[in-house]
Parts: sequence; structure tokens; C-alpha cells
Amino acid sequence: MNFSGLIRKLWQSRLPRTSRDVEEEFQFTLESYQNDLMDQGVPEEEARRKARIDLGQLAGQNETYRRVMGLRVLDELSGDVRYGFRGLRRNPGFATVAMLSLALGIGATTAMFSLIYAVLLHPFPYADAGRVMNLFYLDEERPDAINFVSLSKPQFDLLSQAPPVDSVLGFRPAEMEITGGALPEDVLGMYLTENAASFLGVRPLLGRNIERSDAENGGHSVVVLNYQFWLRRFGGDPHVVGQTLEINHAPYTVIGVMPRNFAFNDFAVGDVYLLMPAAGASILEYLPWIKLKPNVTRAAANSALEPLVREFSKEKSGRLPEHWHLALQPIIWTFQQEVGRTLKLLLGGVLLLLMIGCANCSILLLARGRARHHELAIRKAIGASRWRIVRQLLVEAMVISCTGAVLGVAASYWLAKLPLLLAPKSFPAESVIRINAPVLAFSVAVALLCGLLFGLVPALRLSRRDSAPMFTARNTGVTSAVAGHRWSFLITAQVALTLLLMATAGTAIQSFVELLRAPLGYDPANVMQVGIRLHFRVPAEWDRVQSREARMTYIEQIRDKIATVPGVSQIGTGTFATPPYSGNEYPVEIDRTVNGEQPKARIIMVDQRYFVALGIPQLQGRAWDQDENNRGDFIAVVNQAFAAKYLSQSAALGRRLRISGLTPRNRFQVTSQQSTAWRQIIGVVGDARNDGLEHPVLPAIYLPYTSVMDSYAQFFVRTQGDPQTYLQTIRAAIASVAPDQQVGNGGLAGTFTLNEALQRAPQYSAQRLLSILFSVFSAMALALALVGIFSLVAYSVAQRTVEFGVRMALGAPRRHVLFVAARIALASTAIGIVIGLAAESYLGAVLSRWMQNTFAVRSLFAAAVLLGVSALLACLLPARHAVQVSPSEALRYE
Amino acid sequence: LTKPVELPQGTLEMLVLKAVSLGPLHGYGILLRIQQISGERLEILQGSFYTAVYRLERRGWIKGEWGESENNRRARFYSLTAAGTRQLRSETEKWNDMTAVVAGILAKKADEV
Repeated sequence: MNFSGLIRKLWQSRLPRTSRDVEEEFQFTLESYQNDLMDQGVPEEEARRKARIDLGQLAGQNETYRRVMGLRVLDELSGDVRYGFRGLRRNPGFATVAMLSLALGIGATTAMFSLIYAVLLHPFPYADAGRVMNLFYLDEERPDAINFVSLSKPQFDLLSQAPPVDSVLGFRPAEMEITGGALPEDVLGMYLTENAASFLGVRPLLGRNIERSDAENGGHSVVVLNYQFWLRRFGGDPHVVGQTLEINHAPYTVIGVMPRNFAFNDFAVGDVYLLMPAAGASILEYLPWIKLKPNVTRAAANSALEPLVREFSKEKSGRLPEHWHLALQPIIWTFQQEVGRTLKLLLGGVLLLLMIGCANCSILLLARGRARHHELAIRKAIGASRWRIVRQLLVEAMVISCTGAVLGVAASYWLAKLPLLLAPKSFPAESVIRINAPVLAFSVAVALLCGLLFGLVPALRLSRRDSAPMFTARNTGVTSAVAGHRWSFLITAQVALTLLLMATAGTAIQSFVELLRAPLGYDPANVMQVGIRLHFRVPAEWDRVQSREARMTYIEQIRDKIATVPGVSQIGTGTFATPPYSGNEYPVEIDRTVNGEQPKARIIMVDQRYFVALGIPQLQGRAWDQDENNRGDFIAVVNQAFAAKYLSQSAALGRRLRISGLTPRNRFQVTSQQSTAWRQIIGVVGDARNDGLEHPVLPAIYLPYTSVMDSYAQFFVRTQGDPQTYLQTIRAAIASVAPDQQVGNGGLAGTFTLNEALQRAPQYSAQRLLSILFSVFSAMALALALVGIFSLVAYSVAQRTVEFGVRMALGAPRRHVLFVAARIALASTAIGIVIGLAAESYLGAVLSRWMQNTFAVRSLFAAAVLLGVSALLACLLPARHAVQVSPSEALRYE
Repeated sequence: LTKPVELPQGTLEMLVLKAVSLGPLHGYGILLRIQQISGERLEILQGSFYTAVYRLERRGWIKGEWGESENNRRARFYSLTAAGTRQLRSETEKWNDMTAVVAGILAKKADEV
């Protein structure tokens, strides 16, 4: 049963009387009348006939009843729908092109909407996610950076009791090992405060989340598993709850598994969730998620909490900048910042595509409508009202748009995943793309709107009274050129929109190319980072590398061994030294400082071979030697940005600086003897990216990594050819020195090539996403526009066969006939290109600001030329048929 | 010989209401009664009759119930509802007002204007 049939059935069930009831009543009336007539002497046969003539047929009665009850419209509609489907089946070429035009537009729009819905409108599974805030502060000197406030336990408790706060969740990510197996496995642990279950309000897949009772009696050793970790480690075992998991050599009881869409949180997705330990909690830091009370505005919360945070900042000096203010942001904010703009741009793009698809359908319907003039004229002649014909044509348009929508929604399921594949880090891990009720409602609305949009113009045009003369003029093949003008605005619009999309794609591609060409300051090709994490959790192993000297020896041993691998040409060492993001920021003291501004710089811990391994040029002075590297103190190398900003360029060498913050930041760090003492600048190196691709290089100071040693090390290995192919030999080399040392998977101690690190930068993936998707959009748009132009010319040539025959017979040159055939389409294309150029030069300024790039005039003209040439071809191909008309054959139509 | 009268649109419904107001009737009975009251001068057959009945029932002015006819057959009898009574009264008033005005205008002679 079709859809309108279903509606009819439903409506029918609401009718007060059944059709049998109506018929029985009428039957009685008919018979009574018939009997009366027979009583008056009319013969039976005659009486039966007269009764039916006067009162009507029994069969028609139900129709009358249904019309009165308001059902006839539905009956007619279902007829129109069936007629529409039949029409499409009869014209498969027309139907395919029309439906695909729409399927492209609707599919892309639906995909983009479901993405926006998943990412921006409803990304988190948490209860009251809209009220959950990150505790951000704004450094007034660097307003575009994101800064977190972390808290100690007493501070956390104070914050929880603040008036605008409903509740606060504290969390802290920590690198951990799953032990008890053959080799320890690195995992990311996420400590949560005991209110996790009630705060997050996410129903676990199995078991339960961390609850208050877990913290009683000094806390229990319980663990909740992340869904992906559960699949990876336990193979999705449904009986995992109650089992024991050994983490950092201590047994934990598994109490629950979280559902798939729970990926707490955007700092780093935890593999295991543990209870925040109570012992020694005062020195551990809590990152807070603050749930505000309902109806508390952010401004009110900011001003209420700021004094509290100012109090906190006094307790830990030196961490907050001088001028700052509190800026709570909803947890979705960081993603909105990063991808919101991109998604809006893409939505704009797909809407343009949808409009082009609609225009295409309008053109096709109009073109087909000309062939249908005869049918419509007959309908009018036998009494169809204009409204009835408009309705029929609209329903046919709806049939096309709904079929297109079904195809489009099916396609959008895959289309929506494309951006997630191209730029995985830009989207919240929780956002699951799926076709859900809001998305379906959206696409149905889009389909109906499209049907109305592209169906209305042809319907109104074809149903006009003055087209009735077409009845007589059928098949003469002479059509006034004026009639063609009426559709040409659709071509103009299509061409203008297509040009807009193509120019945007050009701008996106150009920005991406510029990003690729932008000087990095280092050479990422053939360099791989190999990370190792020291076994700091196993006391026996930790003792071996706890002292600075032992740790340095261990790292240097491994370094030397990797250096012997054949094919490894250079190798450098460091911690947190992987471009394009490297180094922690510290305040710096510089001798003979002239201005009062407190200098700040990224401190990057490396060895002397790092510069060569990464290809960072030495501009002045020298790198340190091995002895200086082992000592760690008294020397520093700065980058050019530092020299330019804080030192007068000529006198950089020999100047002295001091970083008083270089003290152990956690119990794993060890420092050299005089790490906070004055250091002499012995060299200046070129600027290598250290703050991402979109920001300028920050002033940086390179220090021997032995000044502050962490619990991990990064080796930067330059190889001959693809570094990935050396991974096994490098692993073997490490194992020959330290058999139980594993190579890190991810995070700071991860193993990946520097090109991979580059491609993970948000700016890189966003630009790549934009340029790929806009190229796809504009290719689709171009194809649609060309199909539109092609069908317009082809139909008008077919309509004007006789005219061309006559022209040829009268001796018109072929070129002239060709021109006459393609004239209207060419003119409207040209106008479209001009309008598109004008619109783009207006919009371009806006767009380029959005895309954070300069407006690309070159790509705009390239797009215009490409569009013009292909439009010319689309015109001339069907127009060729006009000159192939044989005059005698054409005239036979008369 | 009397001339058949064509009804203005919408008045058939009023007549059906009037016929039913005199006592419950089945469909054919309504037809007969209207023709009887009008002195056989109304041509109300031609299918439009039941349209009026269905419409009145849909609006809740008359109510149909199955009963037994004079010759012991199942028939559907219509009776006036309370809303129907009110409707008939207001329709009658409106009709009388309108015909009085129109008749008054038509009765005017040239010198009276």
C-alpha cells in the first residue's frame, strides 16, 4: 500500500459510518421510491431506471458521502501520486536526472545537518550538558589561547559550595599501565570524583558508574571501563563486571562499562575511569567541570566565581598571568570554536548545491511540460480548474523530490562520515553520526520545500490560460523564442551559484596549498618520533632510573643503539619537543632588560643533535657539546623570534637569561643541579613551528634535556627513505639494550612520523576538509549546471525543428543556426557568470575572513573560465542537432 | 399547472432541517415531505439531496439512527438535535429578513423611488 493509501485508511477509520451503512440507507431510499413509482402504475423495469436517474447510482453514493466528509481531496491526491510515478517510469531518463539532481542536494544537506546536529547541537550524552562549564580564564595578553584553571582538593571543595554552582566534577587524566600480563600495556586512566555517576547522568552499558559509596572507608579500588577499551581488552565480554583488572600493579574490581557514546572527555579520552584517590589529595590537581544551577547566566557565574579563583591563584604563585579574567565556557565551546565556522561554511555550500539541484529540476520539468502541453490542454478543455492542474503538477514535483530525498538520506549516511574521516580530531569523540528523528524531520522538510520550490514555477507557468492555444499549435515545431527567455533566469541563477561554489573551492584549495607551502622552520620529511615511557610505576625498575645520572645514561644508551641502525642518518633527543606544538611556557629573566614587560618563552628540552636531526638551521653561535649536554646548566640556545623580541639582534650571543620556574613539577621529574641559575646564550637557531600552523612562532629557548628530565623521552630519528619501514629494526635495537622497554603508542611518548604530527594539527585538517569537500561540492554543482544547460538547449532545439529546417532551407550558414540554437543558453550563462563574479567579489571579503585566508582572485577567474568553457560545450553539443536537421524532413511536419 | 422551482444554493439544507423538525424521518420520508409541503413544485432530486443530509449530519444538526420503517424494513431515521433546532431558527430568521428586504425592493414602483 502506498503512503496516501495509508492516510486514507486512517481517515476512513475515523469516519462515523461505514460504506455498507451508507449503501444500505441509500438502497432503502431507492427501493421506496421505486415502489412508489410502481404503485403509480410504472412498470418495474421503468421504475428502477427512473429511480436511479433521479437519485443516482448506488455505487456513486459512497463517493458523495466521502466528498462531503472531506475525503475526496485525498482520493484525488493518491491518483495524482500514482500518475506521477507512472509518468516517471515512462520517462526514465528525465526521472533519473531529476531525482539524482535532488538526491545530491538533499543528501549533502542532510549529511551536513546530521553532522551539525551531532557536533554542535547535541554532542554530549551528559545530563544538562548545556549547563556544564569548563573553568577557563582569559589571558588579556593572549586572548585567543585557551587556559584552564586546575584546583587542589580544598579549592575544589570551596568551588563546589559556591552559590551559582550546582555541582562540580573533578577529573585528572593520568598515564597508567595494565600489568599482570606478559608486557605492560599503556592506558590512559581518568580519575573522577565520587559524584561522577550523578553528575554525568549517563546510564552505564553494564554495571554502574563510580558512586559516592565507592569513596567510603577511604575508598575502594574500583574501575569503570571505556567502551572501546572494553572491546579491545575484554573482547566485549558481557560478564566482565566483577572481574579484577591489575592497574599499576594493584588489583581493581571492574564495576561497570560505559556505553559507546561515552568518551569522557575532550582533553583525552580515558580507557579506564578510577576513583580520585583520597590519600594525598591536597597536592593533586583537579580539573573541574562546573554544572551551574539552572537560570544562572555565565556572566553572573563569572563574576561570582572570579574572586574565589583570584584567592586560589595567590596560593600557587606564578601560574596565572598578570591580567586575566574568568571566562567560563560551555564544554561544547572549544569544538564550536574549531569546527563551528567550518561546518557553517559547509552548510552554506550544500545549500547552494541544493538550490542548483532544485533549479535543475525546474528546468527539466519546464522542458518536459512543453512536451505535455497537449495533455494539459485536454485536461483544461474537459474542465480541469487551474488549481487542479497546479495541484497535479506540484504533486508530481513532490513525487520527484520525495524519491530524491529517500536516495539522498540513504547517501547521507555515508556522506556524513566523510568529514569525521578527514578531520577526526576536530569533532567531539562522543558525537555519533546517525540518522535520527530530527535529521529525518529535517530532510523531509527539505524535500517538501524543494518540491514546492522547483515545482511551483513550472506548475504556474504550464497551467496558464494563455497556453491553451498550444492545443492547436501542437507539433508544428515553431516556438516563439520569447518562451525560452522565461526559463533562462534559472540557468543564470544556476551558473551564478555554481561559480560561487567553485570560487569558494578555489579559495579553500589555495589556502590549503599556502598552508602546505608555509615555511615550517624544520624539515619533517623522513623524520620519525620514537617515544619511550620509563617504567616509573614498578618500584624496582624505577629505582634503576630514578636518579638523574642513571636516567640520562639509560636514555643515551638507547639513543646510541638506535643510531647504529643502518639507514638512520641522524638522531636527536628531547621531551615535549615535537613540532608543530612544542615546549612549555615559562617566565624568563633576561640580563640588562630594558623594558618592564615580563619576557615569556617556550622552553624546549632537547639534546644538541636535535637541531641537525630536524633540520633547524643554526643562525649564530653554536649548539652545545656532549659535556654541556650532560651537565645541563649554564647554557641556552634561543630561536630567532626570541632574539628579535627580547634581545637586540646583534648582541644576542653572550647575553644571559634565567628561568626560575625550572624546578620539578611532579615527583617523576629530576633537574640538574643549577637548573634555575643564569644561563649564557651560546647560539641562535631558526624559527621552527612551536604553536601550531595558524599562529606565528613563539619565542623559544632550547635547553639540554638533562636540565629537567621527565619520565619519558622522545627520539627524533631521521632515516633514509620512509621511516616507518625502520620501526621494527628500531624496536629490536631498543630491546637489545632494555628488553622490557616498550615503544610508546600515543601521547607525548608516542611513535609517529613528523608528517603525521603535522597532519593532525587542527588547522591542517580543517583546511584539508574544506578544500576536499568544497571541491566535491563544486564538481557536483558544475555537473548539475551543465546538465541544466544541456537539457535547456536540447529541448529548445527539439521544439524548434521546423524553424531550423526553414532557416537551413533559406540558406542560413551553419554557424548562424548553431548560434541561434544556443543563443539563449549562452546569454544566460554569460549573465550568470557576471552575476557570480559580482557576488563573489562582494562575498569574497567575508569568505576570506571566515576561511582565514586571502581572497583568491586567480582561482575565481580560473573557475569562471572553466565554467564558461564547459557551459559552451554543454550548449554546442545539443545545438549541433539543429544544423543536422534536413530541411525537407523538417518541413514535412507542417 | 404549477411551474417547478429551482432552489437557490444552500436552501435545500434549510428545508431538510425544517422537514426533520416536524418529527423523525428517514431519507425518503424527508424527500416526500418536502415535496408534499411544497405542493410538488420543487425539483430536489438529482443526487444533491443526500449531499445535504450528509453535510447536516456531519455538522451535528441532525442525528441519524437505525429504526424500522412503516413497511417493517430497516431504515435510517433522522431527527433534529439541539444545535439543529437553534440553526433552523436562525436560518429561518435570516431567510425571512432577506426575502422581506428583497421583496420590498422588488415591489417598489418607479414613482416610489
